[in-house]
Amino acid sequence: MSVLATLVTAAQPVPVPAPPAPAATITQPPISYPAIMPILIILGAACVGVLFEAFLPRHNRIAAQLVLSVLAILVAGWRLLSYADEMPETGTITLGRALAVDKPTLVLWATLLVLTIGALILMADRTVERGGYFVADAAVRPGTVQDRAQAGRGEMQTEVFPLALFALGGMMVFCAANDLLTMFIALEVLSLPLYLMCGLARRRRLLSQEAAVKYFLLGAFASAFFLYGLALLYGYAGSVQLSDIANAAAGTNRSETLLFGGLGLLVVGLLFKGSVGPFHTWTPDVYQGAPTPVTAFMGACTKIAAFGGILRVLSVGFGTTSWEWRGVLWGVAIASMVIGAVLGLTQTDVKRMVAYSSVAHAGFLLIGAIVLKPAGLSATLFYLVTYGFTTLATFGVIGLVRNADGEATHLSQWAGLAKRSPLVAGTMAFLLLALAGIPLTSGFVGKFVVFQAALSDGMAPLVVVAVLASAVAAFFYLRVIVLMYFSQPAEDGPTVTIPNLWTTGVLTVCVLVTLFLGIAPSLVLDWTSSGVFALQ
Amino acid sequence: MHELLLAAGGPGPVSTGEAIAFWILGPVALAGGLGMIFSRNAVHSALWLVLTMLSLGILYMVQQAPFLGFVQIIVYTGAVMMLFLFVLMLVGRDSSDSVVEVLRGQRLWAAVLGVGMAGLVVGAVSRALTDVQTANLNGPNANGGIGNVANVGKLVFTDYLFPFELTSALLITAAVGAMILGYLDRHSKGTKHTQRELVEMRFRGEYARPGSLPGPGVFATANSVATPALLPDGSVSGESLSRLIDTTASEELSGDVTSVAGSGVAPDAHALVPGADRSETEENR
Repeated sequence: MSVLATLVTAAQPVPVPAPPAPAATITQPPISYPAIMPILIILGAACVGVLFEAFLPRHNRIAAQLVLSVLAILVAGWRLLSYADEMPETGTITLGRALAVDKPTLVLWATLLVLTIGALILMADRTVERGGYFVADAAVRPGTVQDRAQAGRGEMQTEVFPLALFALGGMMVFCAANDLLTMFIALEVLSLPLYLMCGLARRRRLLSQEAAVKYFLLGAFASAFFLYGLALLYGYAGSVQLSDIANAAAGTNRSETLLFGGLGLLVVGLLFKGSVGPFHTWTPDVYQGAPTPVTAFMGACTKIAAFGGILRVLSVGFGTTSWEWRGVLWGVAIASMVIGAVLGLTQTDVKRMVAYSSVAHAGFLLIGAIVLKPAGLSATLFYLVTYGFTTLATFGVIGLVRNADGEATHLSQWAGLAKRSPLVAGTMAFLLLALAGIPLTSGFVGKFVVFQAALSDGMAPLVVVAVLASAVAAFFYLRVIVLMYFSQPAEDGPTVTIPNLWTTGVLTVCVLVTLFLGIAPSLVLDWTSSGVFALQ
Repeated sequence: MHELLLAAGGPGPVSTGEAIAFWILGPVALAGGLGMIFSRNAVHSALWLVLTMLSLGILYMVQQAPFLGFVQIIVYTGAVMMLFLFVLMLVGRDSSDSVVEVLRGQRLWAAVLGVGMAGLVVGAVSRALTDVQTANLNGPNANGGIGNVANVGKLVFTDYLFPFELTSALLITAAVGAMILGYLDRHSKGTKHTQRELVEMRFRGEYARPGSLPGPGVFATANSVATPALLPDGSVSGESLSRLIDTTASEELSGDVTSVAGSGVAPDAHALVPGADRSETEENR
């Protein structure tokens, strides 16, 4: 009976309703604090970072923020490792089934934490450019007198550190979210700081702001798709829990229109974040316009978080109906690989080229994600680990090649770089070979395990397309290497900046991990295949 | 549509009041949506959207979700849309649609695909709802006799505790973002002088003169900034003219010169707006 109907009938004498019973005491959901401690530490540190912004004098902030953020990540990592030993084999589902902390979650969290330390150190580097990669005062309009005045100031917006921590917290929740509502809010928590950070570049500010606006508008659109899909799925299953959706799909024979409509819209939102296939259009512009450390953070960590979410949604929520939707994702994976490989060929900007390469890589990752078996899960996780480290180092190196106008990202400017700086050219060549998937690099092992998992699941045609696409993609990586080694350097070519010790350390570690995972992958492979998603 | 409504009503038939409310508010909400899309003025657009949101809010209340209904009205219509209107008013509402298509055929394809998508979604949802026994809110609302609002509150603090707490991260991010993009530090050292500092500097001789320059003689004889101010002895004050006018070619100022001298064509007494034809094109540049 409706309220309006009540009003209509209110004219007749109605028995006075009994006074409402005193509200029943509610029982709080049990919270497993050890399991969620890493998230709480990261989000708490982000809040403290915001307070630092309010109370610390400007010249002290960058050091304090960096120490706070790295310390928080280290403590979170320590809590994570100590929880890994005591975690039950099937994982912990806590906070009223909102979060599932299981083996894949721990792998993703640990990778995210390590990579974020690297990204934060890149962000804090002020030796590459006076004042660092970030603008001193983002509120000043680009191109004005005030903007020229602030360009020389050796300051930066230190808010990027708490923002990066918020983004990291969002990513961690996104990987662990066990219901779609939590996942949606985590999606926003991880996206909003990224939108902001994209617009804070010190050089080429208009390009940077354009990137931020594009990312924000398209991201808001993708979030709307996600939310609409969520609503349709709730209409189907009567619950936003992934496992309830799986049960509803398995248990009944009613119309599945809402289920697949909802899945389609939901997946659009997820694939957008992972910059897969036809939903990639933001990627090149944003990767190019954003400050390079932010691009590194986005390229490595957002991809990991997005595919962590995709893996969980597909295997926990829709594993029972996989034979009906898998064909569509086959098509998406093929589209993504072809778009990334073919459009990557035509690029003349290094950052855009790596962006298209990330689209191709997203296609490879999606192959692993639709295998829906432990082998596919472990292969995709391994691929994410390798891809994260390689991408972080790649963008770190791109940030070092500069001329008077900032970063020299046009390919022609990279000609003959090996003659100017053999070390940087060699590092870049190695990283590009890793992205291409040449043996003895982690990229090869990553592709190998994903293709192997796909073959074992009867996806041979997809693997053939993937191998062809990686062959095409290898061409544009090799083109850069040829350009660096076999061309004459331009007269007014860029110089390679020597970064500070910390950045050098980050790049070294990433390159060593890339090499190590290519030679002896078994350690990490054992770790990624140690468990599956918690189903509940 | 009516069958759909009947199906959505759960086991019992739709009461008359509910049906009346639906058939009044549904078309109003739809009209609001269409009006929002098709009105040229951004403020009108926002007001049409307010209409849609209000209708939806009342529809929610009719469907036994008073909390959602009030949130829709208070938060969305009241707070968000009014903020939206403030922003529109601050930024200026004279926006014009660009009629240039950057990508050829983009609008056509956008329209075709948009209508196709809408058709698909509407078709799918209505098909999915025809033979489904949907649950009404009688059960959940009466759960333990505490009613809708208390139930929503209970869910927020039990099942959805974590997402609810997590939204605070979202709010902090939004506030920090607004500060970064909007706040200009004018008070720290070396950014901008205060009025007192400026006065002291002027009298110390760091500026050419202690006071400001004399204003032009606008409105004395004409409304052109090219009119010079006159000194007490009747001579022209050169300082009162902008340097821009000195450097402007004299032909460009000929119109102003004639109007100041009164030698031009007198305004047409029958014209509704004197000189409207010229001011429209020249002054808006």
